[in-house]
Amino acid sequence: MQNQNDLLKDESEIASSISEIKYEEWGNCSTLEDEPSFQEEESAKVPYVGDKEPLSSLAAEYQSGSPILLEKIKILENQYTAIRRTRGDGNCFFRSFMFSYLEHILESQDRAEVDRIKVNVEKCRKTLQNLGYTDFTFEDFFALFLEQLDDILQGSEESISYEELVNRSRDQSVSDYIVMFFRFVTAGEIRTRAEFFEPFITGLSNATVDQFCKSSVEPMGEESDHIHITALSDALGVAIRVMYLDRSSCDNGGVTVNHHDFVPAGTNEKEEASAPFITLLYRPGHYDILYPKSSCKVPDNVGK
Amino acid sequence: MQQSRARLFKEYKEVQREKVADPDIQLVCDDTNIFKWTALIKGPSETPYEGGVFQLAFAVPEPYPLQPPQVRFLTKIFHPNVHFKTGEICLDILKNAWSPAWTLQSVCRAIIALMAHPEPDSPLNCDSGNLLRSGDVRGFNSMARMYTRLAAMPKKG
Repeated sequence: MQNQNDLLKDESEIASSISEIKYEEWGNCSTLEDEPSFQEEESAKVPYVGDKEPLSSLAAEYQSGSPILLEKIKILENQYTAIRRTRGDGNCFFRSFMFSYLEHILESQDRAEVDRIKVNVEKCRKTLQNLGYTDFTFEDFFALFLEQLDDILQGSEESISYEELVNRSRDQSVSDYIVMFFRFVTAGEIRTRAEFFEPFITGLSNATVDQFCKSSVEPMGEESDHIHITALSDALGVAIRVMYLDRSSCDNGGVTVNHHDFVPAGTNEKEEASAPFITLLYRPGHYDILYPKSSCKVPDNVGK
Repeated sequence: MQQSRARLFKEYKEVQREKVADPDIQLVCDDTNIFKWTALIKGPSETPYEGGVFQLAFAVPEPYPLQPPQVRFLTKIFHPNVHFKTGEICLDILKNAWSPAWTLQSVCRAIIALMAHPEPDSPLNCDSGNLLRSGDVRGFNSMARMYTRLAAMPKKG
């Protein structure tokens, strides 16, 4: 985590979100920071969750950009086929996680995974109750997420198609509610394990755990970093891989794409050995979804 | 629309249950419109607002609870973070720090806390803020108390 922190500092020059400034080169962000209204306007043009695009669209963004970035994108192209962009509205991590997770369930029809996460969701509900949250403040958000899980499993009347999943992810009344569900879950996890998270929070923002949750987790539009990702991954028991696309390079001049796997506490070795089914692309200030080439996917259907 | 209505209805039921628990707040929903509420809050003790009863108006937007309610003082109040003419309130949870974990009831509690702990560095009422910033607590208290007496106390007889 410390490394990621340093990395973030190094990259502060390109620290504003990326997707909404497609046509700008690296390093121009500082001028945009003075015009937040422009940025907000631009970000509103991007749907909450975009269409799946070939990874070449990523390279096209940086055609005249930094050679290190172009080289890293080439490396990514060996492992990943596609990218799905999310709106840079401060909710991009949660939104990316939401779509990536639900899409995985839709494609895999993994009922065991749905049963497993439901157990964790109930634990999160208890956590919030124990922390003194009023039930009605969070129950609608929980209910909506559970409803999506049921709708995604085929075989019932309510079963939804892939197109419907995309539509719902773009519909504020569903999409924002699920983002908010994740924010509740994340805040609950951070607060119950306050001792664990406190040093990271103090290092990042000089706030108390309570202040951090109130100001940086629970309000919509507040950006996420490794604290949020760790907490969400642990609370729901879902591993997340984050690929870092930034201008850092190795001391010997070689270029590799750093990644970090957020593996929930209590994961056994066998599960840990397989790659997480959620992969996000991180560029300073923004998360999108990455799609691995099929050979890189978790070999879960081998022998079936 | 459906979501906000359902949520507000739950808050309505909760308010009925909590009435006794929080005697400082009386939150009432408009008879015909669940998106319009008013509240009567008691000025906190050991402040120049003590003894006063202040009326707040809530306008709840359609995307509630994803977006905060709009709240303003209907009763005139002399406070650094309340606009003297419009009653607009400068409070982070009513703006960017809002989250659905808050309720109309807990917003009232936050406003009572703001009355007891003004933030003179982000004033909506500069005269009031300047008195506090220059350290003239006595001057501030007497102004605030005067307006409490004039506007927030029931007239005798």
